[in-house]
Amino acid sequence: MPYHEFECSKVIPERKQHAVVKGEGEDLTSCLPKGYLNTIPGSISERGCAYCGAKHVIGTPMKDVIHLSHGPVGCTYDTWQTKRYISDNENFQLKYTFATDVKEKHIVFGAEGLLKQNILEAFKAFPEIKRMTIYQTCATALIGDDIAAVCDEVMEELPGTDIFVCNSPGFAGPSQSGGHHKINIAWVNTKVGTVEPEITSDYVINYVGEYNIQGDQEVMQDYFKRMGIQVLSTFTGNGSYDELRGMHRAHLNVLECARSAEYICDELRVRYGIPRLDIDGFGFKALGDSLRKIGLFFGIEERAQAIIDEETVKWKPQLDWYMERLRGKKVCLWPGGSKLWHWANAIQEEMGVKVVSVYTKFGHQGDMEKGIARAGEGTLAIDDPNELENQEALRMLTPDVIFTGKRPGEVAKKMRVPYLNAHAYHNGPYKGFEGWVRFARDIYNAVYSPIYQLSGLDISKDEIATDKGFVTRRMLSDKNLPEAITSDPVMSEYTGKYDSVSELREKTYPVFERKSATAAAE
Amino acid sequence: MSAVATKKKSEKVPKMEPLYTSNPLADADPETQARVGQLENYIMKNCLWQFNSRGWDRRKQNAGIIGKTAQLLCGEEVENPTPLEKCYWVDSVLLAEAYREACPWITAMDKDAIKGLMTKLHQRMDWLMIDGSLNEELTVQHY
Repeated sequence: MPYHEFECSKVIPERKQHAVVKGEGEDLTSCLPKGYLNTIPGSISERGCAYCGAKHVIGTPMKDVIHLSHGPVGCTYDTWQTKRYISDNENFQLKYTFATDVKEKHIVFGAEGLLKQNILEAFKAFPEIKRMTIYQTCATALIGDDIAAVCDEVMEELPGTDIFVCNSPGFAGPSQSGGHHKINIAWVNTKVGTVEPEITSDYVINYVGEYNIQGDQEVMQDYFKRMGIQVLSTFTGNGSYDELRGMHRAHLNVLECARSAEYICDELRVRYGIPRLDIDGFGFKALGDSLRKIGLFFGIEERAQAIIDEETVKWKPQLDWYMERLRGKKVCLWPGGSKLWHWANAIQEEMGVKVVSVYTKFGHQGDMEKGIARAGEGTLAIDDPNELENQEALRMLTPDVIFTGKRPGEVAKKMRVPYLNAHAYHNGPYKGFEGWVRFARDIYNAVYSPIYQLSGLDISKDEIATDKGFVTRRMLSDKNLPEAITSDPVMSEYTGKYDSVSELREKTYPVFERKSATAAAE
Repeated sequence: MSAVATKKKSEKVPKMEPLYTSNPLADADPETQARVGQLENYIMKNCLWQFNSRGWDRRKQNAGIIGKTAQLLCGEEVENPTPLEKCYWVDSVLLAEAYREACPWITAMDKDAIKGLMTKLHQRMDWLMIDGSLNEELTVQHY
């Protein structure tokens, strides 16, 4: 096994099994780190907890819901939507966060009364909202509060309301991934099948593992609507609580983030016979293949192909402009879970960069399998890294840019490595054909940011030229490019708008004549 | 709105028996190894279906998709009696297309040779993704 031992982690010998370098001829039978294990004491992990995984990642992107944490206010604050999971209802779920604000006296005397009072207050404060999710935390789980019993009482007192209880306290797993699992299974066990949805198309999907980061879901939904497909529910970005109760009536589950949401797809497949189709919304080829597969499933491939042709003509020359300027740039691809495999091959093939390292905070060995398979030889793969390991890796690999979360990202910036936010994006959405160009544009802006040239100078000792003007990105990126590239009449920088999402909400779509739903599913 | 749907219970998870104890391609001739390697590389770089989280599930995915891809490459008609079969088929259609484009030598092979090569690919994928895998979660009983 080609393990990589960090100098800084020699005092934690178990860490050696959590990093590998993919060597020549290595495959998944000889090169795979350990994963999804409890963080080793002494290693300052970047992971979140199981409560965070359930609430922050999966529960709270639901848009028409009061999301209430039963626990200390800090738990709520730290899972308030900082991840830009937007919605088309004026971002109700982003504006407000709710907590029962449990204190020491409640730990001693119980907090069920406090919970009931908070639920009633919240429904009263937002009378137009009739749905609620409640999240257990470590403190209230340890004192044994029966949330479900309190909710039953409230639903009886307030007819028309519906409450989902998520029992995923912070300690319920090695990382946030434990919470993903718990909320998936809880939703399919308690809510799926409790609403009969209206079917409006012959082609009906659940769009699963998609969280509408800066509008990703709305971009993909636009393609589906252009194909005449009904998105019955989205689990969970920009998703509606009641639509998600009707997931059992879809003909196909289209799965993006298998790490966070494969569980519900697999259960829907076993319990209701709905097939699971894994797709990639990132990258021209992967997205085109994904749309074609969905089209093939329903017998409407020509509608998918029309979208691919139209979008490719429009956006490919702009993607190529960036690829010419990003060739060979070294990338550390250090996201939370799924993007290490969603992006590893696509950014190398379509943007010309070289992935020198992949890591995952909370991924399982299955995620590392995908990431290592899609990355090239020499790639350093790290599971559940700590901050010192990250710094050592950055010094060793000297990447041109790093894609990661905001905490390790800020550390990288201090080490003069440009950082892009892999979780919440910089100027997304990044899904879709246009989105992929926006991502390339953000990478270009990061790699060639003039501030990184300036930040390397120390005014206390370095000589500062006073006869030279400010160096622009273009001056840096085009310095060694042939004229055939720099003056190419077809390729161009990104020409889209600052906001590429809002206008989708006003769009009208073609109406396709319906066959019977039964025939379509056959 | 009312609670109307009847939930089905989860089926019992199939027990997973290993098929291979070593790389089934280890003794193949260099040309076969190189060709299977090319086919495998395309799957690993571009597909996701082989990565389902449990070993028994991967076994079904490999059999369903590689089997239908072989049929398509041989010009045979593919039956899709259930939505699950149809789901295998859509991945097979794209895989067969990609193979014809990226591996043009496959179009010059006769049916028996294609079937033989795809059988080798199937064996290799079962080894790589299941029986030889280092992923310790493949045998977990629940999703």
